[in-house]
Amino acid sequence: MAMNLFLLLNTSHLSHLKLLDSGIVDTGSEPVLGIAVIISSVIFILVFVAISFQLLHETAAALLGAVLVFIFTYVGSYFHPDLSLLTFEEAMDFVDWNVIFLIMGMMIIMAILAETHVFRWLAFRLYQMSRGRTWLLLATLITLTGLTSAFLNNVTAILLIVPLSIQVAVAIDLHPFAIVIPEILASNIGGAATLIGDPPSTIVGSHLGLTFGEYSSHMAPISLICMVVLIVIIRVMYHSDIRKAKKTISPILLERLASESAIEDRPKLFKALFITALTFIFFFLADIFNRMPPSVVALTGATVLMIWVRPDMHRMVHEVDWTTLLFFVGVFITVGALEATGAIAWIARQIARLAGESVMLATLLTTWVSGFASGIVDNIPFTVAALPVVDFLTETVPGAIQSRILYWALILGADLGGNATYLGSAPNIVAVGLLSQAGYRVTFGRFARDGVPVTIITLLIASIWLMLRY
Amino acid sequence: MGLVLCATRGGEESIVTQQKAISIAKERVDPLVFLYVADSSFLDKTAAAVVVDVQDELMHMGEFFLVMAVERAAEEGVGARAVIRAGSFVPTFIEVAHELEATTIVLGRPGGETGRFNEEDFSAFCHYLAEETQAEIITP
Repeated sequence: MAMNLFLLLNTSHLSHLKLLDSGIVDTGSEPVLGIAVIISSVIFILVFVAISFQLLHETAAALLGAVLVFIFTYVGSYFHPDLSLLTFEEAMDFVDWNVIFLIMGMMIIMAILAETHVFRWLAFRLYQMSRGRTWLLLATLITLTGLTSAFLNNVTAILLIVPLSIQVAVAIDLHPFAIVIPEILASNIGGAATLIGDPPSTIVGSHLGLTFGEYSSHMAPISLICMVVLIVIIRVMYHSDIRKAKKTISPILLERLASESAIEDRPKLFKALFITALTFIFFFLADIFNRMPPSVVALTGATVLMIWVRPDMHRMVHEVDWTTLLFFVGVFITVGALEATGAIAWIARQIARLAGESVMLATLLTTWVSGFASGIVDNIPFTVAALPVVDFLTETVPGAIQSRILYWALILGADLGGNATYLGSAPNIVAVGLLSQAGYRVTFGRFARDGVPVTIITLLIASIWLMLRY
Repeated sequence: MGLVLCATRGGEESIVTQQKAISIAKERVDPLVFLYVADSSFLDKTAAAVVVDVQDELMHMGEFFLVMAVERAAEEGVGARAVIRAGSFVPTFIEVAHELEATTIVLGRPGGETGRFNEEDFSAFCHYLAEETQAEIITP
């Protein structure tokens, strides 16, 4: 009954937790860990394990979680009413449609922009501009990856830049790890800078109802600082590889790279860049227009671009990666069941106990726990599950509510923590796959050799920055 | 007259394999074909939004490695050609071996922890390949 009441009154995830908490805990004592809490927790753990250990495709695992929630709710409750976890109607309230439509809109824009090969062209131009100075080439490619990750999305940045980077590296006798691993690290750091750069950023930003400008004003500066630090670390780490690299490429290979990097459809490129630029201007102007949600801006940009460029609509719809959208829906529903049954309220109370009344301790806990978790498990379900916990901590820890410091800590932990291992985030998995296709297999230890120190240093910087800024 | 087929990518182990294939082709005066298989199945491990034509990106990368391999053969005075295909590695490799009627297949050995197979799996794979293609399997 308490669950129904809180869902009826549901206006935000923050209110979910308050009402749920007060609904379940009649006496203000410990929440009762009923059968529904246990079942929803087991389902979530199963999904989490299946995703993190790649036992199932991420989308299949997330949808399995959602389906299990519904089976218990509709079939299980026929045998015992306590087995009801979350009805279909209730589940829809837990799906953040702003996230779904924002990702969908940006996918369409990215797909059209990617077809122009502008990033391949840019990467090749950077190679030419470096004129045999390997360090300059490396620094500019890292910066390009970071920027592309911030303004498109980090997986797209990797898919667009890494293949050409591998070719350039092979051609100049530089081990591809020396370019690609720094690019992966840059993609996760750059992804934290904007609302659309990395899924945890999108999830938390949307949850808080932030505009693009609001989000960037908080996260872009620290992301920029971490990028500069990354470039310095890479300089030290790959000093000898950089020194040994060849200064020139054979004419045949150079010709091959140049022909691959040519822009074939300039009018399309112009249209795509113009609309993308306009979309970003509107992202920043959203405040003026009644705080227009980023999803509306992205969908508008995508629609205008489709009307102007007139791509093959069937192909365009095919290029929207539905597996991603279904994955998000599945994760939101699975975590929704955790929230609705009170499992998250219980976890939040335990963490609140640890943090006590210290905002500093709560911030450090949030940053480092989410950083550590994101290094070993998928950071998307982790962020969705951690959000209600952060809601609770923000409500209970004095001084956390105005600055929203714990939300920033969660974003930084989830985004930067993804750099520790190659399982930490999607760009890592994709780049490791691309390297493997080039004949360079990255082992867990090899990736961690670079990823772990960079993660620790950037998380340290983020922690200090959070303390000073908020 | 036979045909030497060498599956290759761009890594250091691939260069050793390419050199072995070049020397066999030179010695037997057989035509040499380098093959790259663009396999995007690694994307099945993630639900990340993939809006880029990954197969196309991999094909570009593969063509680049094949240009390097053909250039390497030319330096040794061996004329080689390149074939690029998209699909799952093992069935595609067998399909191309049948199509070209390859008599000799040169395969790279697993390179420690960075190799595609461990030694045991690699031997089993070589046996399987020999049965499927009726070709001689040579490893560097």
